[in-house]
Amino acid sequence: MSAPTYQAAVFGATSSICQETLRAMLRQQPARLLLIGRNAGKLAAVADDLRCRGAECLTLTAPLADFATDWASLLPQHSANRPWDLFLLAHGTMPDQEQALADGNSLAEVLAVNFVSPAVIAAACGAILDRQGHGTLAVIGSVAGDRGRGSNFVYGSAKAGLDTFLAGMRHRFAKRQRIKIVTLKPGMTDSPMTAHLTKGPLFSSADRVGALAWQAIRAGTPVAYLPGWWKLVMTLIRWLPEMVLHRTRL
Amino acid sequence: MTTTTREMHAWGKLRPARATVCTPAWPPAALPGPGPLLAYGLGRSYGDSCLLDGGTMIETRFLDRIRAFDPHTGLLRAEAGISLDAILRFCVPRGWFLPTTPGTALVTLGGAIANDVHGKNHHRSGCIGNHIPAFDLLRSDQPVQTCHAGDALHAATIGGLGLTGLITAAQIQLTPIRSAFLDVELIRFSGLDEFMALSAESAATWEHTVAWIDCIAGGASLGRGIFIRGNWSDRGALTLHRPARLSVPMDLPACTLNRFSVRAFNTLYYRRFCGKTKTLHQHYAPFFYPLDGVGQWNRIYGKRGFYQYQCVTPPAAGTGPMVQILKQIAASGQASFLAVLKTFGHVASPGLLSFPTPGITLALDFADRGARTRELFDRLDAIVRDAGGRLYPAKDARMRADDFPRFYPQLETFRNHLDPSFTSEFWKRMHPH
Ligand SMILES: Cc1cc2nc3c(=O)[nH]c(=O)nc-3n(C[C@H](O)[C@H](O)[C@H](O)COP(=O)(O)OP(=O)(O)OC[C@H]3O[C@@H](n4cnc5c(N)ncnc54)[C@H](O)[C@@H]3O)c2cc1C
Ligand SMILES: NC(=O)c1ccc[n+]([C@@H]2O[C@H](COP(=O)([O-])OP(=O)(O)OC[C@H]3O[C@@H](n4cnc5c(N)ncnc54)[C@H](OP(=O)(O)O)[C@@H]3O)[C@@H](O)[C@H]2O)c1
Repeated sequence: MSAPTYQAAVFGATSSICQETLRAMLRQQPARLLLIGRNAGKLAAVADDLRCRGAECLTLTAPLADFATDWASLLPQHSANRPWDLFLLAHGTMPDQEQALADGNSLAEVLAVNFVSPAVIAAACGAILDRQGHGTLAVIGSVAGDRGRGSNFVYGSAKAGLDTFLAGMRHRFAKRQRIKIVTLKPGMTDSPMTAHLTKGPLFSSADRVGALAWQAIRAGTPVAYLPGWWKLVMTLIRWLPEMVLHRTRL
Repeated sequence: MTTTTREMHAWGKLRPARATVCTPAWPPAALPGPGPLLAYGLGRSYGDSCLLDGGTMIETRFLDRIRAFDPHTGLLRAEAGISLDAILRFCVPRGWFLPTTPGTALVTLGGAIANDVHGKNHHRSGCIGNHIPAFDLLRSDQPVQTCHAGDALHAATIGGLGLTGLITAAQIQLTPIRSAFLDVELIRFSGLDEFMALSAESAATWEHTVAWIDCIAGGASLGRGIFIRGNWSDRGALTLHRPARLSVPMDLPACTLNRFSVRAFNTLYYRRFCGKTKTLHQHYAPFFYPLDGVGQWNRIYGKRGFYQYQCVTPPAAGTGPMVQILKQIAASGQASFLAVLKTFGHVASPGLLSFPTPGITLALDFADRGARTRELFDRLDAIVRDAGGRLYPAKDARMRADDFPRFYPQLETFRNHLDPSFTSEFWKRMHPH
C-alpha cells in the first residue's frame, strides 16, 4: 500500500471532538497523522483507533501548556520531508470559574491552556504554512468567546482572544489563497469536558460536531459554527444590549 | 474523571435511580471508590438491571475506541462503551457485520455482553456471547485481567448482568457480508401452529427469522401475525444506515396508546400487503432496527413509563403454554403493538445466566396501568413457571425473587464470581433480605 498523501499534525489529539473530526476525515481519505498530547497512554489509545480506520499514526508526548517547545523547528523533524496539509489545534479546558477567580495561578493556567498555548502553536504553524505556501490551520475555539457572560467569562475571554488572534492571522494571509486559517466554534457538545452538565436540547454529539468540523476544514471555511445554527444564536446574544443581558443568567 | 449526582433511567422509565455518576473518558486502571458500583451502557435495558440507587454508576459511553481490527479475519477489539451502531459504521463499509444483533443498535458492546443479547439468527448463531473470544475485566478485588472463552469468569460475565466487574474492552468476531441488504420474505400466518410450522421449515435455510404477532386479536384471530425471514443478499452495495432523523420531543399523554389505537395499528400492520407472502430486498436498518429511526420512542408511553415482558417456554411444553399466554394477554386488552415471537435454537451460550434456551420466546410492551398490569404479569408468570420457562432480566422490573433461582439453575455457581463491590436494583430486588 502506498503512503497516504494527506498529512496532518494534531495538538490535543486526545480531545473527544478532535477524535471525531479525525474519524470523519478518515471516512473520506487515508492520512498520515502526528498526534500530539500530554499523555502517552491516551495518545496510544487514540492512535490504535485511528490506525484501524486507515491512518498512519505517530505520537508525540509534549506538555502543550509550557511554551518552551520550539514547534517551528520540531514539526519538520516529523514531517517525513512532506508538507503539512493540516494543523489542527484542539486542546482546551473548561475550568471551575469560581475557583479560577479566587486563585490567580489557576486563572493564569486556564488562560494559558485556552489562549496562550494555542496562540503560540498557531504562530509556529503559521510560519511553516508561510514557508510551504499552502495548507490549513484549524483551531477549536468556542461560541463562549463571542460574548462575555457572567457564567463563563474566564473560559470565554481566552477563547475570544484566540478568535481575534486567528482573525488577525487570516488577514495576514489573506492574499495567500492556498493558506487557510479556520476558526471552529462548537456550541455545547456532549464530551468528557461537559460530562458533569445536564444535557438539554442545545447539546450536540461530539460525533456530529466532529463531522461538521471536518467539513469546515475541507472547505476552508474562515469561521464555522458547529452546528451552523449557533451562528444565529450567538448573533442574537451579541446584539443583546447589556441592560437586557444583565437581567439574564446566561 | 468527573463525577456528578443525577437521576439515571432505564429504557422503560419506570423508576429512576439517583446515583453518583462517573463518566471515564479512558479505560480506567482502578474502580472509583469503595462502591456499591454498577456499569451503565446506553440504558437500553427496560427494567432495573442497569440501575443502582445511591451507589456509583460508571457510565461507559466515552470508552468508544476500536483498538484492533484484522481485516482478513474480521476479529475486532474495542473498548466496552462503543455502541453496536458505531461498530456497524466502521465494519459495514469494510464488508463485515455483527455476528448477531438485538433489535436496536443503540446498545454498548459491554451492555450486550452483560445481557448476552440474542437476535433473529439465534437458531443459527446463538447469542453474542458465542462470538466474544475474550474481554478485559476490571474487578474491585483484582487488577485488569483478560478472560478467555473457557474461563470460569468468562462464563460468569457473559449474561452476568454487570455483576462480575467492569468490562473495559472486548473482542468480537464479526461475520462477512457482501451487501448491506437482505433478501426477505414476509408470510402472513393465522395462528401459533402455523408459526411453528414456518419456524421449523425456515430453520435450515433462513439465517434470520422472527415474527410479529397481534396480541390484541383474540378468538379465531388469536396468534395471527407476520413471519419474517431473511438471508444476506449478494445484490446491493455496502451502504450504511443513516442516523435517526426524527425524535419524540417529549413524553406523550399516557392515553395515546389505548386499545383502539393499538387495534387499528395492528390491523393495518397485519394487512400491510395483499396475498399471503411478499418478498423484499431490504436494507439491514429497517430489517434489524425498525425503531432506531425514531429517537427516544419510549416517550410514547408517557411519563409513567412501561414494562416489557419477555419469556421463553421450552419445546417439551409444546405450544400449549404460549397459547395460554396469548389468550391471557388478548383478554386483558392491555397489549401494545409490535409483539415479537421467535423460536430459539439449540446453540448453547457459555453464559451461566444467559436467558435464551431452546423454545418459543415472546416479547411485548405494556404501558404501566398499575395493579391491572401487575396482576396480568402474575398470571403470565404462573404459566411460564409451570411450563419450565423463564423471564429475561434485561427486560424485567417485577419478577418474583423466588422465581429467579428457579429460572436460572446455575445461579449458585454464578454467585462465586460476583464482584463484592458490584450490585444493581435488579439484584437487590432478587435478594430482598
Ligand atoms: C428497542 C429495543 C430492542 C431490543 N431488542 C433486543 C433483542 O432483540 N434481544 C436482546 O437480547 N435484547 C434486546 N434489547 C435489550 C438490550 O439489547 C439489552 O438490554 C442491552 O444489554 C442494553 O445495552 P446497554 O449498553 O444499553 O446497557 P445497559 O442497559 O445500560 O446495561 C445493561 C447491563 O449491562 C451492564 N453493563 C453495561 N456496560 C458494562 C460494562 N462495560 N461492563 C460490565 N457490565 C456492563 C449493566 O450493569 C447492566 O447490568 C432491546 C432493547 C431495546 C430498547
Ligand atoms: N465540549 C464542549 O461543549 C465544547 C464547546 C465549545 C468548544 N469546545 C472546545 O473543544 C475543544 C475540545 O474539547 P472536548 O469537548 O473535545 O473536550 P475533551 O475531550 O475533554 O478534550 C480536552 C482536550 O484538551 C487537553 N487539555 C486539557 N488541559 C490541558 C493542559 N493543561 N495541557 C495540555 N492539554 C490539555 C486534553 O488533554 P488530556 O486528554 O491529556 O487531558 C484533551 O485533549 C476544546 O478546545 C474546548 O474548549 C468544547
